[in-house]
Amino acid sequence: MEEYIATFFFHFGAMAFKKKCDKEGYPAVIMPVPRNLSSSCGTCVKFTGMAETAENWHSDELEQLAKILGNGRFQVIWHS
Amino acid sequence: MKETLSKKETPMIIGAGIIIGIIAVALVYFGNPANMGFCIACFLRDTTGALGFHSAAAVQYIRPEIVGLVLGSCILALATREFKPRGGSAPVTRFVIGMFVMIGCLMFLGCPFRMILRLAGGDFNAIFGLIGFIVGILAGVFFLKKGYTLKRSYKMQPIEGGIFPVVEIGILVLLIAAPAFIHFTEADGGPGAKHAAIAISLIAGLLVGALAQRTRLCMVGGIRDVVLFGEWKLLLGFVAILVSALIGNMILGYFNPGFAGQPIAHTDGLWNALGMALAGFGCVLLGGCPLRQLVLAGEGNTDSAITVFGLMAGAAVAHNFGLASSGEGPTANGKIAVVIGFVVLIVIATVNSMRKSEA
Repeated sequence: MEEYIATFFFHFGAMAFKKKCDKEGYPAVIMPVPRNLSSSCGTCVKFTGMAETAENWHSDELEQLAKILGNGRFQVIWHS
Repeated sequence: MKETLSKKETPMIIGAGIIIGIIAVALVYFGNPANMGFCIACFLRDTTGALGFHSAAAVQYIRPEIVGLVLGSCILALATREFKPRGGSAPVTRFVIGMFVMIGCLMFLGCPFRMILRLAGGDFNAIFGLIGFIVGILAGVFFLKKGYTLKRSYKMQPIEGGIFPVVEIGILVLLIAAPAFIHFTEADGGPGAKHAAIAISLIAGLLVGALAQRTRLCMVGGIRDVVLFGEWKLLLGFVAILVSALIGNMILGYFNPGFAGQPIAHTDGLWNALGMALAGFGCVLLGGCPLRQLVLAGEGNTDSAITVFGLMAGAAVAHNFGLASSGEGPTANGKIAVVIGFVVLIVIATVNSMRKSEA
């Protein structure tokens, strides 16, 4: 299992995805989007799990999915 | 739970806030109206008047700061590959919300940015504005938690995202060329006549636009993040603006504490609060304050560009229908418009709040 950040078009998407993570037993937290990941100032979900957790989530709300590499760096692995 | 992934963000935001506060005071020194080094609402209103969309002779001038903000953001976003043309997220709804945000701002006589600058100048009327602003944001956050969404945006062609910055360049050309059809407030004719030199205003706008793009500075986002996450980072930028502008005002002798006789302000506390409550509520529904909308429009966000046009339409409506306050206080029409604004925003927020079961 790896650490990921999923960003959303609206706060609603972050809430919905956090609920999905909670339901499936993946530790997740809603937080502001880190600046070094995006210039958007919305909310994101940091979660520990598998990329498929977000990639297979059939929702229009997901904007991008990034893997946390450490030292505040990210690797974007999916983008809407 | 509070989470953060970068420790450099906070000093960057505070540093940007300090610089922006100094620039705001410097603009007053160079000729802008008092406590109005920057005011996105006022400057969009002045520009709207200069283009002939309203006929309030006292507030007509193409403000280069607005052009600079958009271009500063645009240039930096292009340089850092963050220029991302997007749009299609409820543009008409955003236009309408933008109109009412402007009507709220013109009830108070300033945007959230100017509210901070008014506080830094000793205008205690802005305290009522700040209280209302926070209440408005709380109302918006309530709907965010209920599942409010304007739905996703979509990738656009680069030219679509570039149109708004190009329009701003066109507006700047109109200012410099000053053809007869552009309206300018006559000397001593009101706030529109008070302005720094074009080059100074433009450079100030470029700097602040770039800093705001880099740091994502947003008054609404700052308070929203404190309420939702206990995260103070964004808000610290505005605290830094307040402190540096306050010190600058004291050094230059612009600090004049009190309620009465404040520049371009009125003393009606209730309507100062209600005006900013409407603005704060609307800005949460939009996802950012008027400054942030300009910066996002510079990054190619066409939804924000539409919002800016909505703000300008709101300015035209406010002055054509006698809704805008003056130093003498709010108008009856303005009070009715603010009440209508609350009703419209509550309807928009309710209709766009998803069913709880989907969240």
